[in-house]
Amino acid sequence: MSAEEFNLPKQTHDIFGVMARGNFISSNGTRDGMNRLYDIINNPDNFDRLQAYFNVIRYNIERGNNYFYFSKLGEPNSELEKKLERFERYIDIIDLLASMDNKITIGSRFRPSEIAEECNANVRLKQKLQKIPLYRSETLHNKVREICDLMSRDSFLELEDEKTESYKVLDSYNYLLDIINAIAIYDDSNSSDDTQAIVYN
Amino acid sequence: MENCRILNRIVEINIANVKYADIELSGNTCFVGTNNFGKTSLQRAILFFYSANSRGLGISSSQKPFEEHYFRYENSYLIYEIATEEKPFFVIVYRHNKLVFRFVDGAYDPDMFFTANNDAMKIKEVISNLEKRGVYISNQIDTFERYRNIIYGTETDKQLSKFHLLKGNEKYQNIPKSITNVFLSSKSSIDSRFIKDFIANSLTTENSSIKLEQVERQLRQFNEKYTDIETFLKKESTQLVELIDKKYDQVHMLKGAQMEMADKLGSSLRFAETQNESIREASRKKEEELEKLHAEQEELKDNIENKQNDIREEIGYYDRTIREANKKLKEYKEKNIDNAVEKNAEREKLQVELNIARREYESLTSNVASIELKYSSLIEQLRNDKSAYINKINSRTSEIFNHYNELQLLQKNEFNKREAEIKLKREEAIEEANSEVTQKQIEFNQLKSDEKVIRNTRFYETEIKSLENELAELRAVSYKNKSERAIKQNMVATLQREWEALELKLKTSLTNRINQTNNEIIKVKNEIREIEEKLNVQHDAFYGYLEKNVKDWHQTIGKVVNEKLLFRTDLNPEKAETTANTLYGISLNLEPVDIVSKSIEEYQFEKNERLAQIRDLEEALNQFQAANNEEKMLAADKYGKQLGEYKEDVKVLTYSLELADKREKKLADELEEWKGKAGKEVEESLSGNRQRLNIIEEELSILNKKKNNLLEDFNKQLEKLKAYNDERIADLKNKQETEISELEVEKKNQVKEFENKEEELIKEREGNFKNKGVDSKQLKQIENKTKELQEALKEIEQYAQIVSDYLKDKREIFDKLPDLIQKKEEFVKTNNDLAAQLEESTRKYNIKRMELNKQKRAFDEELIEFNNGINFYSNNFRETPVYVKYADIIERAEPKRTNYNIMDLCTQLLKNDSHFNEEYGAFQRYVNEFAGKFRIDNHFNFIIRNDATQGEYERFAQNLRSFINENKIELSIAETATQIGLVTDSIATKVKELSGQKDKIQHIISLIAEDFKKAEFEESKLIEFIKIRLEESDNKVYKLLKRIQEFREENGLVYNEGLFNTDFATGSKREISTRAVKLLEQLRSAIKEQEQEEIKLQDLFELKFNIKEGMNETGWTHKIDSIGSTGTDILVKAIIYITLLHVFIKESSHRSSKDFKVHCIIDEVGQISAHYLRELLRFAKNRNIMMINGLPNKSGLESHYKYTYQFRREENNNVRIFPSIVTEVEA
Repeated sequence: MSAEEFNLPKQTHDIFGVMARGNFISSNGTRDGMNRLYDIINNPDNFDRLQAYFNVIRYNIERGNNYFYFSKLGEPNSELEKKLERFERYIDIIDLLASMDNKITIGSRFRPSEIAEECNANVRLKQKLQKIPLYRSETLHNKVREICDLMSRDSFLELEDEKTESYKVLDSYNYLLDIINAIAIYDDSNSSDDTQAIVYN
Repeated sequence: MENCRILNRIVEINIANVKYADIELSGNTCFVGTNNFGKTSLQRAILFFYSANSRGLGISSSQKPFEEHYFRYENSYLIYEIATEEKPFFVIVYRHNKLVFRFVDGAYDPDMFFTANNDAMKIKEVISNLEKRGVYISNQIDTFERYRNIIYGTETDKQLSKFHLLKGNEKYQNIPKSITNVFLSSKSSIDSRFIKDFIANSLTTENSSIKLEQVERQLRQFNEKYTDIETFLKKESTQLVELIDKKYDQVHMLKGAQMEMADKLGSSLRFAETQNESIREASRKKEEELEKLHAEQEELKDNIENKQNDIREEIGYYDRTIREANKKLKEYKEKNIDNAVEKNAEREKLQVELNIARREYESLTSNVASIELKYSSLIEQLRNDKSAYINKINSRTSEIFNHYNELQLLQKNEFNKREAEIKLKREEAIEEANSEVTQKQIEFNQLKSDEKVIRNTRFYETEIKSLENELAELRAVSYKNKSERAIKQNMVATLQREWEALELKLKTSLTNRINQTNNEIIKVKNEIREIEEKLNVQHDAFYGYLEKNVKDWHQTIGKVVNEKLLFRTDLNPEKAETTANTLYGISLNLEPVDIVSKSIEEYQFEKNERLAQIRDLEEALNQFQAANNEEKMLAADKYGKQLGEYKEDVKVLTYSLELADKREKKLADELEEWKGKAGKEVEESLSGNRQRLNIIEEELSILNKKKNNLLEDFNKQLEKLKAYNDERIADLKNKQETEISELEVEKKNQVKEFENKEEELIKEREGNFKNKGVDSKQLKQIENKTKELQEALKEIEQYAQIVSDYLKDKREIFDKLPDLIQKKEEFVKTNNDLAAQLEESTRKYNIKRMELNKQKRAFDEELIEFNNGINFYSNNFRETPVYVKYADIIERAEPKRTNYNIMDLCTQLLKNDSHFNEEYGAFQRYVNEFAGKFRIDNHFNFIIRNDATQGEYERFAQNLRSFINENKIELSIAETATQIGLVTDSIATKVKELSGQKDKIQHIISLIAEDFKKAEFEESKLIEFIKIRLEESDNKVYKLLKRIQEFREENGLVYNEGLFNTDFATGSKREISTRAVKLLEQLRSAIKEQEQEEIKLQDLFELKFNIKEGMNETGWTHKIDSIGSTGTDILVKAIIYITLLHVFIKESSHRSSKDFKVHCIIDEVGQISAHYLRELLRFAKNRNIMMINGLPNKSGLESHYKYTYQFRREENNNVRIFPSIVTEVEA
């Protein structure tokens, strides 16, 4: 069955291009016409067609709160585990961002320097930032930059203004929050090493 | 002398490196010199004659400008001599700050410029020199434009109009442009783009292009606005707006409540601080009162107890005395005291009997002698005894009488005294009771009046009054607000109606105007179409025939022919000599007849006029629309603002009414509470009062009872006293009487005894007288009797002491015993009274003490509450961020008593703040999410920084609310809708303007093609043909621009109403708008993609060549890289340029002006073969064009030119230009 037969919108290729990379399409994203793509998917007629079309290639469009992303049908557990591993680094990042005085919420605009400054002035935040693994930047500012860069790459943030290095929090950030909220921490008293375990619901 | 006008000569005086050069240019001219010797500079100087534009000479920006490089000295001159049909004239170009021109009516003569020393003169000297010579020299021409006007024959000044090279028409600017373009592009390869540029540049001015940057900017602005509006109109955004609005109200209310609470806290704190001392003082006073009360009570208690002790002592004394008396009395009774007293009472009698017995005995024993005497003395003695006895008895009687009288008197006195005492006591007691009763009555009355006062007193009057006032004010304000809101709601409805009516009116007028304009445009377009049809067919129609074949036909046939006939193509006109100047053989005087026919120019003019008319109509419509929009926007601004204000007011009023309702309810509750409290207080006071009243009533009844008891007591006492007195007196009287009567009986008996004894004595005496003897029996009898009497007296004497003691005790004690008992009882009663008094005072004391303690406790509790509150505030509140937030309010609050305690207020503030923070967090999230949906530089200015303060967030919400209330989105939509109209209109106008010139291009191309055809290539057979044709442009941007123009043509001017219109009725307009938006979006993308700065005339078409040179045919192509050899290429290029130049000169010069020649300056033709050169020069000559070319060196080619000049650099670096001696082979 060809794309024409599905009567797909002409942006289908762009949509696939974004989401197949594991990225999100958020309603408040403006780069590369992301909001237009969102509107197109959000159109009920389009959605059904796109869903049917992508299902053929074993992709499923998942709808979040003002964002869309792909999930793979029948994904092997090993892949899921990898995804979870990748996600784990966001726990500390979200923890940091949620601890800021000026809370980072959907639609917030900020510069890495602002976060770095706040972290520098607040020992607790500084520790949180320093504790985030994976990054080896020497200065706090660079570390925050790397985080922002990572989140931009993963389409949770959008670099709105390269000159001022201003980022905007996209709707897909909700995904991170939802996942974090879905984590239940329990104390496994039966386990021998007495460690805590995380359960993803 | 030429018989046509031509630039005859150029003279350089002190120009650049050339000190002097005089170059003739009246024929083909060739400059020979190696590079950098000044060939091109000279060519530029020649070009300057034609273009008079120092910036369009191909001087790169890195080089010195023309003015500075050429005119280095005061006496630097460029002189152009122009040959005319009559005498030549020349132009002097010199620098006077800027380049200026002067025309001189005469042939150039070096003497005019040089002194005798061969030094170039200054301009003043030149002018005076010329004037001296009587040669006309014009005023200074300051502008290039005016110079060109003169040279190209469009100058209106008669003095200057003769100095023209040719007579150009309105398009004469094309001539200098063409010459310039040939010169500037002569080095390029043959590319249709250059030809296009050439044609286009020749036809257009610098401004006749579509600046894509500008278009892109307009599109971007429109697109951004469109996106912003689209984002705003999204469902999610609308939901967020509602949420923000709601949350803002909530946080606002919470904040208000918090502030109110903070104010209360501040007031309570201040109050607590200010009242602390006074409460302490009040508590201390109560303490003192308590102490005083206690001391008074103790004193009273001591006093009463002392009295009681005294009384007890008295009672003890009396008790003891009574007890002892009773004990004695009992002892006496045991000793049979009554018998003893009775016997003792007979002692006197027994003593008398004894005495009588003794004397009888003595007389019996001693009276033998004188019986008479004896008896006489006996009788006498007896009589004496009798009298003594009587006297004694009488004295006893009198004594007893007196004694008892005295006793009675004493008793009476005692009674009176006691009675007076009791009465006094009674009076005192009653007085005391009465005073107590009176006091109680006063107290009772006081309490009664207190009750009245309490009933009339409004407790917490200040609070209630202030609440009532506040409520009244609030109700008044609410009432006012309600009516104001109703008025404002009416105003809103009215304004809405007015606005809608005005909008409808504007819309209707716009629609009418559009329809009217469109109709007019259609009408004019039809006329244009008719004219165009005429123009299109005129070549083949009768009109064309007449134009070609009949001179001045407009003066003849044109006056009589039907216009429609003129454009019929089926008439096959043929010229017949015989009917010339006649109408079918009839000669007519057509002098007075008006010409019916029109020239092509007139038709063209009419067409242009109608096009202008359409433009005017569209312009007018545009203006109307703009005015309409402006009016709409003004209305939107006016009504929107007013509506917004009113709506905001209504909202504020509604909100304040809601708040007022809540406040009213709260105040009503508070009032009820206060009233309840007041009622409770009244009830409490009344109940206390009533209790007191009851107690006092009871006390009064007790007191009355007590008073009655007292009275009764006293009366009883009095009665008892009286009875006792009466009894005593009766007893005394009785005793007196008994004793007296006993004495009387005793006396009587004794007297009788005496009398009996006297009689016996008398009888005895008589017997004695008779017997004279002694009677022994009688003696014995007397002796026994004496003995008995002595015995009785002895016995009496034995009890005499006890009786005496008894009598003494009786007199001193036993008789006083009732008094003692009475006194004791009195003391007991007094003691009881005192005990009751003490008890009563203790009760009173306790009540008062309790009351004082209660008051003190209340003060203490208040103080503790204040202190606890202040401590809680200091320890648990002062350091929190909540305090910091409301510090101003708390610190500035006025001290005031509130119904809340500090601790509760602090806790509530902290609790509420946490709630407030939650709500505020949600509010911030909504604002962030909403603002995040828009571009960072959105035109609504919905932007919030991440570190924005609460104030900024609140301002954001306020602005958003104003935005909604004032319906600013409608304004924005209207603006954007206007913008899309303006953008499309602007694009359409620009495209139309630009493509309007396409006809000219078509015309030029057809002329060029025709000129190519005319070229005499056949002779040499070198170039078989050069063909040129126009094709549609494949420029994507232009295509889209064109589509937009067509779209606009198709849909007229107004299609913006549908922008964001969701109305089903006008849904079609929405579709049109969507198409427009899409087109604009596509155009924007194309502009971005193509990265082209502007759309010029040359982008409107594609030019293709087909050249056949020998056996080589290029086919229809854009670019001819290589036709043959380089020489062939140069030739073809030159031929094309010359053709172009020729066509443009022809097109741009007046028809009457034919006798002139211009130069075609093409540098570097060195690689062309002599054969080709000859061909080229001929080609040019046939078109009245003289060639000016450059050669690097002498190669024989120069022989084909009329003039050849060589360039040589001298030692002083000056360049010398000198003519080369060659012979023109062929020209």
